[in-house]
Amino acid sequence: MGQSVHYLGLIPLFPLMGAVFIGLLHVFTCKNAKLPEKVYGLLACVGPVLSFVMALKVFFQLKALPVDARFLSHNAFTWFSVGDLHINMGFLADPLSCLMLLFVTLIGSLIHIYSIGYMSGDKNYGKFFAYMNLFLGSMLVLVLGDSPVVMFVGWEGVGLCSYLLISFYSEDTNNVLAGNKAFIVNRIGDLGFVLGMSFLFWGIGASGFDYLSLKANIHHLTPAIALTVCLLLFVGATGKSAQIPLYVWLPDAMAGPTPVSALIHAATMVTAGVYMVARFSFLYAHVELAGDIVAWVGILTALLAAIFGMFQNDIKKVLAYSTVSQLGYMFAGVGVAAYSAGIFHVFTHAFFKALLFLGAGSVIYAMHHEQNIWKMGGLKAKMPKTYLTMVIGALALAGCPPFSGFFSKDEILFSALATGHYGIWAVGLLVACMTAYYTFRMIFVVFHGEPRDQHAFDHAKESPAVMTVPLIILAVGAAFAGFLNMPGVQTVSHWLAPSLTEHHPHASSFVLVFAMATSIVAFLVGIKIAYSKFGKGAAEPVFSGFEKFAYNKFYVDELYNAVIVQPYKAVGSSIWKTIEPNVTDGPVKAVTRLYMMIGTAFKVFQVGYVRIYAIYMIVGLSLMSLFLSQSLN
Amino acid sequence: MIHSYLYLSIILFCLGIVGVISRRNVFTVFMSIELMLNAANLAFVAFARVHESMDGHVLAMMVMAVAAAEAALALAVVILLHKHKSKLDTNVFSLLKG
Repeated sequence: MGQSVHYLGLIPLFPLMGAVFIGLLHVFTCKNAKLPEKVYGLLACVGPVLSFVMALKVFFQLKALPVDARFLSHNAFTWFSVGDLHINMGFLADPLSCLMLLFVTLIGSLIHIYSIGYMSGDKNYGKFFAYMNLFLGSMLVLVLGDSPVVMFVGWEGVGLCSYLLISFYSEDTNNVLAGNKAFIVNRIGDLGFVLGMSFLFWGIGASGFDYLSLKANIHHLTPAIALTVCLLLFVGATGKSAQIPLYVWLPDAMAGPTPVSALIHAATMVTAGVYMVARFSFLYAHVELAGDIVAWVGILTALLAAIFGMFQNDIKKVLAYSTVSQLGYMFAGVGVAAYSAGIFHVFTHAFFKALLFLGAGSVIYAMHHEQNIWKMGGLKAKMPKTYLTMVIGALALAGCPPFSGFFSKDEILFSALATGHYGIWAVGLLVACMTAYYTFRMIFVVFHGEPRDQHAFDHAKESPAVMTVPLIILAVGAAFAGFLNMPGVQTVSHWLAPSLTEHHPHASSFVLVFAMATSIVAFLVGIKIAYSKFGKGAAEPVFSGFEKFAYNKFYVDELYNAVIVQPYKAVGSSIWKTIEPNVTDGPVKAVTRLYMMIGTAFKVFQVGYVRIYAIYMIVGLSLMSLFLSQSLN
Repeated sequence: MIHSYLYLSIILFCLGIVGVISRRNVFTVFMSIELMLNAANLAFVAFARVHESMDGHVLAMMVMAVAAAEAALALAVVILLHKHKSKLDTNVFSLLKG
């Protein structure tokens, strides 16, 4: 066993305590005496920042250990024991969870700070921060859990917070419906996760159900069960990480406040699925078929979402589809057994996508909650800091060397090529080109050209420092994080190596250069098309034919509604209207009728005269005495 | 010897029962109940004499005390009943009829 350190449990505890404290404060003060926003803002940032400091401590302690012994654990308490099954509330910090820990707490802290500015003036200011802290705590439980069960606790916790925060502006029914949709779709995925976990337990759970025991016993699993477990767990991942066929909730989730979109629906929660697959790399590495399915689902999701992203008019929807698309890349990466590449893309994506969302939030804030990009334009002059940081984010997303996205995306494409998955590589390249196109379409339309809405333009101004400083810090990350894992250095891959079961493909340097060159060409083609169409300012296009089809997201929502939701409702109402009154109500009503009959029969004895009751008493006592005297003899 | 006392006790008790069941005046019912209590007392005292133990005597004294308390309470109830319906016929008070 690795070293046991007590402060590991504190990392999720700080934000969770913050959530409870802020929540209570909000509940008790929202009615009459309102606390100043500064109090909430300060309290909210304490938990995440302390967790970040702790995460740094974990990192340095891990770094000091020899490579093979790099894990710390802490068993907080035994959660429950059933027979031989003991589930501990245990935490495990190894290089993989440490990397996740570092960027989750760092980006979480920055987004909390940003929210102080963005949410100012909201009447549920305290509630917002309570939920945000609760989310961060759950996410840290997910990342640090030492067994699938503890991970599942965090997994459900983040799902709950996601639901609460999507429907945060609950005055609007649409937001509430979006929250419901996210929750229900995630539930479908969670069922897969639970089933996968059960199969895994059934297979090899008897000798310990934490990751280390599972890893040691994985060869006892029969291939059929291993494949089933892999696919069921991946169903869970498709729900949480918005992959085909369960991706539909993520674009709707943009109904929540923008910091929520940045933290939960871009940087952290949605990458939980990728983290889970990487965490189970010892399992997926044995089942090649499952890996291929994961990779193909991932890359097709990337393609589909990129197509949708090219035709969206809402700035947050563009970013939402790009998130789905990038998540697809990550799954393609872990699917071709390049786990460190996938996780590295999670890492860089967290920086540049959080940056883009926060930048978009800054724009939306300046434009008084206008989200349609065709109402913006020319904002470059008014918001220089936001513009500059967003361009850095966009370059990273589009995969421009030397920004972070280039290295991580290129590594995934290179791994696909090196392991012989040429189809995945080709689709990935196409998606890279489309990514560059839709990202810079957004940048050009929003920041360049002439203002389309003069009134809103005149009132737009740069956001306050509490919002721009996190942008700048994230921009630094988005610009330089890629160097951590550039070819030849591979710091992140080496760091992650003890946690992952991974064989680095041996490919010639020609393949490496070829993969890089093609990605750069794809990026240049994409940005060239975007510039020629939107660079000089363009009017809002009228969609027709295929464009309209893509703008309406191939009518997938309508299809799901017609194929699943409506039949489900029809079944429900038919049960309510025919089966319930005719079948199930029968026995229930018969029981009540039986009691009424018995009551009527006994009613005749209740005559109401005291004398008669006296007779009953005497008869009863006499019978009892008779019985007693009989039994005594 | 004891048999005579017990027979008397039984006769008194049955008279009490018949009174409680057949009479409709609240006072008569009450007096019949007192009769039953005294029948029991007689049996207690008789057995106490036979077994030469003081327990029966003590219990008889106790029953008398309880009967006195009960009489006070019962009379109050009777007054309330009379105020309520201006009658002392037990058949009038049949609210428990199902």
